[in-house]
Amino acid sequence: MGRLLKPAGAPALALATVLALVGAPRVQADELDLSVDLRAVSSDATTSRLNGGLGTLRYDAQHDGLRLGYVRLGYRGELAPTVRVVAEAVAYGDHDVNALDLTEAYADWRPFPSGAWRSRVKVGAFYPEISLENRMRGWRSPYTLTYSAVNTWIGEELRTIGGEYSLDWLGLANGHSWEASASVAAFGWNDPAGTVLATRGWGMTDRQGTLFGRFANGGQPFGSRTVFYDDLDKRPGYYASGVLKWRGLLELRALHYDNRARLGVEAPQIRDATWLTRFESVGLRLTPSEHLTLVGQWLHGRTFEDQLPNRNAWSYAGSFALASWKQGPWRWSARWDRFDVRQTESSFEYLPFLTASDGHAWTASVDRALGEHWHATVECVRSDSSNLLRPYLGQAVAQREQQWQLALRWER
Amino acid sequence: MSNRFLKLLNFARYKAREMHPRFHRLALCVTASTVLAGLAARACAGELSVTVRSAAGSAVDGALVVAEPAQPAPRPAAAQHAIMDQRNLQFVPDLLVVRTGALIEFPNSDQVRHQVYSFSGAKNFQLPLYAGRTQPPVAFDKPGLVTLGCNIHDNMIGFIYVSDTPWYGRTSADGTLKIRDLPPGDYTLRVWHPLIDETGPQLEQRVVVGENATVTFRLQRALRQPLMHHGADKKWEDY
Repeated sequence: MGRLLKPAGAPALALATVLALVGAPRVQADELDLSVDLRAVSSDATTSRLNGGLGTLRYDAQHDGLRLGYVRLGYRGELAPTVRVVAEAVAYGDHDVNALDLTEAYADWRPFPSGAWRSRVKVGAFYPEISLENRMRGWRSPYTLTYSAVNTWIGEELRTIGGEYSLDWLGLANGHSWEASASVAAFGWNDPAGTVLATRGWGMTDRQGTLFGRFANGGQPFGSRTVFYDDLDKRPGYYASGVLKWRGLLELRALHYDNRARLGVEAPQIRDATWLTRFESVGLRLTPSEHLTLVGQWLHGRTFEDQLPNRNAWSYAGSFALASWKQGPWRWSARWDRFDVRQTESSFEYLPFLTASDGHAWTASVDRALGEHWHATVECVRSDSSNLLRPYLGQAVAQREQQWQLALRWER
Repeated sequence: MSNRFLKLLNFARYKAREMHPRFHRLALCVTASTVLAGLAARACAGELSVTVRSAAGSAVDGALVVAEPAQPAPRPAAAQHAIMDQRNLQFVPDLLVVRTGALIEFPNSDQVRHQVYSFSGAKNFQLPLYAGRTQPPVAFDKPGLVTLGCNIHDNMIGFIYVSDTPWYGRTSADGTLKIRDLPPGDYTLRVWHPLIDETGPQLEQRVVVGENATVTFRLQRALRQPLMHHGADKKWEDY
C-alpha cells in the first residue's frame, strides 16, 4: 500500500479519510476524540531502534528531554444503522515521513442478533484481535505508557488490511455465563511483516506503525527502509482466532497468523523482499476484582526471507505478565517481559554467525486521573538485553537500558 | 375498587330510577353492599412475608418475587412510564419491573453510543446507535422476562420483567420482602434473580392469602458471579 502513494500525499489522504468519514451520510451524531500526550523523558538507553540503532526502547540518551508522546485523532461514525466506521490518525513528531498518518480505518458491520449467534464483518485496515493489553481507543494501553514487547511488535508490523469475519455466541444475552467468538481474516499488504523483528529484535515502545509511514530513521546494519504495509506477491495471508469470555472476569484469546508470503519476490523501490511470517499467540486476562487486573500473553513464530538456497530464517518468542491495581483515580501497574529472536538459517556472507537477540525487562507505572480529561503518568522501564549485531555499531552485545517518563495526557 | 366500576354502578342506579322508584331503592342497596364488600375486602387484605435464601442458607439480596393471583389482576387504567438508563456501560437499574403495557424510555447517559436490543420472546426490539435521549419510549405489552443487550458492548446486560400483576418486589439485603394489600385468594409466587443459575419447582410456590402468609424460598445452587464491568468511559474500547 505504501508504495502506491507518494509520501507527501499520505497525510493529506489520512486527513481526507477522516474528513470524508465525518462528512459521510449519518444517522446519528459522530464521536470525535482528540488526545495529546506530552512527555519529559530521561533515558540512558543505547541508540533506539526508532533512531536506526539496536536499542530496545523508544527514547535513547541522545533523544530524551521534552518529547511529544503523540497527538491522536479518533473518529467513530455510522454509515448505516448497523455499519460503524472507525478511523484513527496519529502524529508522533519524530522521523516519520508523514506528520499525521492513519493507524486504522475500517467499517464494522454488526447486524442485530436475533438469537444466540451473531455475525460480524470488518473491512479496511485494523488490528487483529490479539492484544489483551491495548484496550483503549487508538489501540493504546491503559496500564503502562510503554507496551509489552509482544504488543510493540504487533503495533509496529502487523495490520489486517483486508476483511475479517467473526461469529459470536452471545451467552450472556442467553442466560449463560460464557461467551465465545471465532474469527477468520484474509489480508494483503503485510508482506514485509517480520523484517523489523528479524533485523532489530524485539523492542518496547508505544510507537505504532502507521499505514503510510516508515520504520526507523536510518539504520545500520540492514539499511534504512521499512515500508510497513506492502503487497509484493499478490497472495493474501490469513489468520484464525478464538476467544472465550466468562462474565467479564476471564478472557482467553488464541490466534494463528500466516501472511503466506511467496518468498523471493523483491521490491527494489522499498529495498525489501517478501517475508513469510507465521506465529501463534495465546493470551489470558483475569479481572478477579474491580481493582485488580492480571494479563499474560505469549507469542511464538518463525519468519523466512528469500528462497533456498539463499533463505534466511529466524525463530522468535515473546511473553509478558502484567498486574495492575486501580484504586479511585490511581492505577499502579507492573509488567515483566521476556523476548528472544534467533536466526536458524543464514545466507548472509558478511555475517559469519547466526544473529540472535534476547532479553527481559521490567516496567513499573503509576497513573493518576486528574479530573475528567487529564492524566499524569510516571513510568520506568529497565531492559536487559543482548544482540549479537551491536558490535557492528561499536556497542557491547549486552546492554542495560533504563528510561524514565513523566507523561501528561489530555483527551476529550 | 376501581373508579370505572363505581361509575358503572352509579349509571345503573340512575337508569333504575328512570324505570321505577323500587328499582332505584334496589340499586341503592346494591351500591351500598358492593362498597361495603370492597371495604371489607380491603380490611382483610393480606400480607405476604417472603424470604429468599441461597443454597448455603445466606440471605439473597435483590431477588424478584411476583405474586400471581388465580384470577387475572385488573390492568392499570393508564400505561405506566418507566426509565431504563445506560450509565458507565451498564443498564441502570440492572432489573426493572413494570406492569404489562408499560412504556419504557432508554436514555443513554454515557459519552459513547449504545445500540440496545432484545430478542426475548416477551419483547423483540432494536434501537439504532444513539446517544442522549433521542429514542422514543418502547411499549412492553407482553408479560415475561426481557433480556437487554448492547450490540456494541457485549458485556452490557440488563433485564426487564413485565408483570401482569401489581404484587411484586425485590428482597432487601436480609433476603426478605413484604407484599401488602393482597386480596384474599390463591396465588402463585415466583422468584427470580439476575444472577440465578437454576430453574425448577423450587422457584415457585402456591400460597393462600387470608390475612397473612409467610413463605421461604431456598435456592439449590449458588448464584452466579456478578458481571465484571471494565472501563467506563469513552477512552476504553475492547474488541
